Amino acid sequence: MNFKGTLPTLILEVLAQEPSHGYRIAQRIKERSDGVLDFKEGTLYPALHKLQNESLVESYEGVESGRTRRYYRITQSGRKALNKDRAEWRQLSRAVSIILGEA
Amino acid sequence: MTKLDVWLNEAVRHLSRDSASQVRSEIREHYDAELETALSDGADPEQAETRALQALGDPRNANCQYRKVLLSASEAALLRESNFEARAICSKPRLKWAFLAAPGVILLASTAFLVMGNIDLARGLLVLGLLMAIAFIPPFLPIYTPSRGRVFRAIKWSVMIGSVALLFGRNALQWSWLLASCVFPIFWNEWKRVAIRRKLPVGQWPKQLYL
Repeated sequence: MNFKGTLPTLILEVLAQEPSHGYRIAQRIKERSDGVLDFKEGTLYPALHKLQNESLVESYEGVESGRTRRYYRITQSGRKALNKDRAEWRQLSRAVSIILGEA
Repeated sequence: MTKLDVWLNEAVRHLSRDSASQVRSEIREHYDAELETALSDGADPEQAETRALQALGDPRNANCQYRKVLLSASEAALLRESNFEARAICSKPRLKWAFLAAPGVILLASTAFLVMGNIDLARGLLVLGLLMAIAFIPPFLPIYTPSRGRVFRAIKWSVMIGSVALLFGRNALQWSWLLASCVFPIFWNEWKRVAIRRKLPVGQWPKQLYL
């Protein structure tokens, strides 16, 4: 299951905890949502590139278990965008809950 | 050819060489990690390969997503080749000054003909001078921020539309078939540049992308 447009926010949220490579980001999203949010990896990287183009994340090369990997970390503007997204999401989910609760 | 190669070939279709190699390396890295996890979970190699491939999803969908954020082959070619004229002119100082002076001379000639009463010729020269100024002078102007670029592009399109209106006047509609065929390549390039601007971070924009 995935909600269109939420992937960039979820990526920023994972990267706000610690810098990660693509595979770990996908795993974290899956784990933290108890397997409910399962984004196909073929769409994860385009989302990462978009965030990078918008300077919300930056990438660097790191080594893990002897293998070179591309790591991503959140930038200052990425943190600002994440805070804004969080506030908007809370507002939206509260509004939808009210409507569904009334229905 | 492995199943992963087939997946990758589909996912990188129409992407530029650099973009394609970037995609291949990051997807291979991801696939290897998924494969390792599946093997350590006790899956046999074939099951692990299937699981790793399934995790990548539909390659056509991935290609569609990649083409929204990475340069396609035609966009990379446009970026590589569109600065050819400017580089050719700038590398020859005499030619550079000739191109810079030409619009000014033509605009002066236009004013002279206007004073002499030859309005049609003055109008033609004015349009020619304006279009040459728009084409040749910008590479030498200090346009290196997105906001200056936007202002310049607004002026450029206003001058171009104004020139057509000035040259053809009320007959502009009658000549629209000719205008459309002449202007189409310019629109097409401009459309591609809009896409490139969206895909490249501002820090990586070459000068011609601001214009």
